[in-house]
Amino acid sequence: MNAGPPAVRRGRRWKTGPFWVALEVALSGSLLLLFLLPIFALFTYAPVSRIVAAAANVEVREAIWVTLYASGIAVLASALLAVPLGYLLARKRFFGRAVVESVVGLPVVVPHLMVGLGLFLLILPGSPLYSFTNAIGFPVYDTIWGVVLVMAVVSAPYTVLASQLSFEAVDGRVLESARSLGAGPGTTFLTVTLPVALRGIVAGLLLTWARAVSEIGGILILAYAIYPGGPYNGPVTSTISVYIYNLFQQGDLSDAAAVSSLFLLIAFALFLAVRLAERTGWVPWRRGDLAP
Amino acid sequence: MSEWLVDAVETDLDAFHLGPVDLSLRSGQAVAVLGSSGAGKTTFLRTLAGFLPVRGGRLLRDGVDISDWLPEERSLGYVPQGLGLFPHRTVFGNVRYPMELRGRLDANARTDDLLARFHLTALQHRHPARLSGGEQQRVALARALAAEPEMIVWDEPWQALDVGARHELGLVLKDLRETERIPVVVVTHDPGLAFSLADTFLVLDHGRMRFSGGPTDLLEHPSDAFVARFVGYENVYDRASLEAGRERPFPAWLLSVAGPGGVALGNPEVVPTTGVPSTWEGTVRSARPNPEGLAIELAVDDLMVTARLPRPWPATLPAVGDRLRFNVGPTAVRRLEDGAGGVR
Repeated sequence: MNAGPPAVRRGRRWKTGPFWVALEVALSGSLLLLFLLPIFALFTYAPVSRIVAAAANVEVREAIWVTLYASGIAVLASALLAVPLGYLLARKRFFGRAVVESVVGLPVVVPHLMVGLGLFLLILPGSPLYSFTNAIGFPVYDTIWGVVLVMAVVSAPYTVLASQLSFEAVDGRVLESARSLGAGPGTTFLTVTLPVALRGIVAGLLLTWARAVSEIGGILILAYAIYPGGPYNGPVTSTISVYIYNLFQQGDLSDAAAVSSLFLLIAFALFLAVRLAERTGWVPWRRGDLAP
Repeated sequence: MSEWLVDAVETDLDAFHLGPVDLSLRSGQAVAVLGSSGAGKTTFLRTLAGFLPVRGGRLLRDGVDISDWLPEERSLGYVPQGLGLFPHRTVFGNVRYPMELRGRLDANARTDDLLARFHLTALQHRHPARLSGGEQQRVALARALAAEPEMIVWDEPWQALDVGARHELGLVLKDLRETERIPVVVVTHDPGLAFSLADTFLVLDHGRMRFSGGPTDLLEHPSDAFVARFVGYENVYDRASLEAGRERPFPAWLLSVAGPGGVALGNPEVVPTTGVPSTWEGTVRSARPNPEGLAIELAVDDLMVTARLPRPWPATLPAVGDRLRFNVGPTAVRRLEDGAGGVR
């Protein structure tokens, strides 16, 4: 082979030394193990028959259903409220913007028990807000609305942040082209800004959904049990996180492990479905990617 | 087709002030906007397109004041730097976009026509990220035309194109000007494009209009060092460097003919014999062949002069260190009137 000057070749193709490769593998490997070993422990503790039994159990199914249902509503609420806030933070310069950004980060930073406690104190039984939420048909204590409220508060920041970054990344010159071609500000937003930012927004909504599903701290305070009411009309139940927590408290380790394993499988399947949908490219937010 | 009049237009962008700028533009005309970085070229285009407010003066189209019109009302094909293609739409979707906005029933057919005209039919299902620079330019132009603009305003059409693609796009722009009679305003750093396309030149510097006129005027009276270099003068001297060598004959002579912005020399020629009046002697630093002959770099009294030796090329190139004489004709001296636009 006709080699060029060695210096150029070395510059082009990085050759990583064995020490660095080993370090890289060791570090990433330990992290992956930290992710996988607890899952492994869950699945090995619960026999398959228990997992199947959990899947057949009406109480478990109700808890899973109510969790997915409430988190779905929380994600919708995020899309409706958090995306516009992300847009505002990305596009407008206003007084107190830094403060607003910090406030958005707050629910993520503090322990979620504190979020639940704050909400509890805000809507204290007997307070005007308590009467108001009851009057308009959104009672929060031990209802699905309480779950949705906690989930939305602790998880919407991810959508705010992701949509802010996505809107900021939309090239202003692309928007100016659209305007010049005859699109008004509203049309430009709907036909260019939003579609271009959509991929990042969807990623944020997925994170929001994941965070909502995994919530327990605030729910323990506001809606430990879920009574029928609002959009939920089933028997008295709880979110899957609270349900598993209860099993653990009762010392029922194998059932706790079985229900956890079942829910893990469902969550994993849902995530995988979204990723595969993105991979095949039929979802609108992946169009026009750099990757072939 | 319409007539445009930029009448003492001024605008502000943060601390930057542009104007007043005057320009008139009829159908079939093309204007090249020149100036160094930060001169206000893009600011001027964005003001035309309606993205920056007209703070002073007026912008008229066919006698109608459109200074306050929104960008989408101006019927102006604005192509920003970087082209502003829609990354989420295919080539077809990009070109179709303006016609979708207008709810045209023949949008698909017209898109097909435009794609065929710009040789994009085979690429119509691709997204912009997967096109070459030249292909992206053609998409941008096809999309701008799909909006049936009254004027094309293009910020640096030449950016990042190879020689072949430049040539091709030059032909397209010329064709556009001659057949569609759409006025064109381009910002460019490329003298080749500017002289092949434009019949009017607008020179901006620090937000002020330095020059507005035709190509011969621009060549005869380059206003400052930037313009002189842009239009092809190789020998441009600012006052400071001339002052430094004022004790020696060549700088002293240049200083005597220089303006506030210095002086530019048009085409000094190497002369074969001594004894020709008004000649200077220099030491050869390099000799580079080009299509016209030889460009010989000479050191004269610590100044560098590029002189020309017309074809045919000599059998042996002048060697470094040779002494050669050259001639600066009296008509080749260009006084530069503007000092502010000097070398940056």
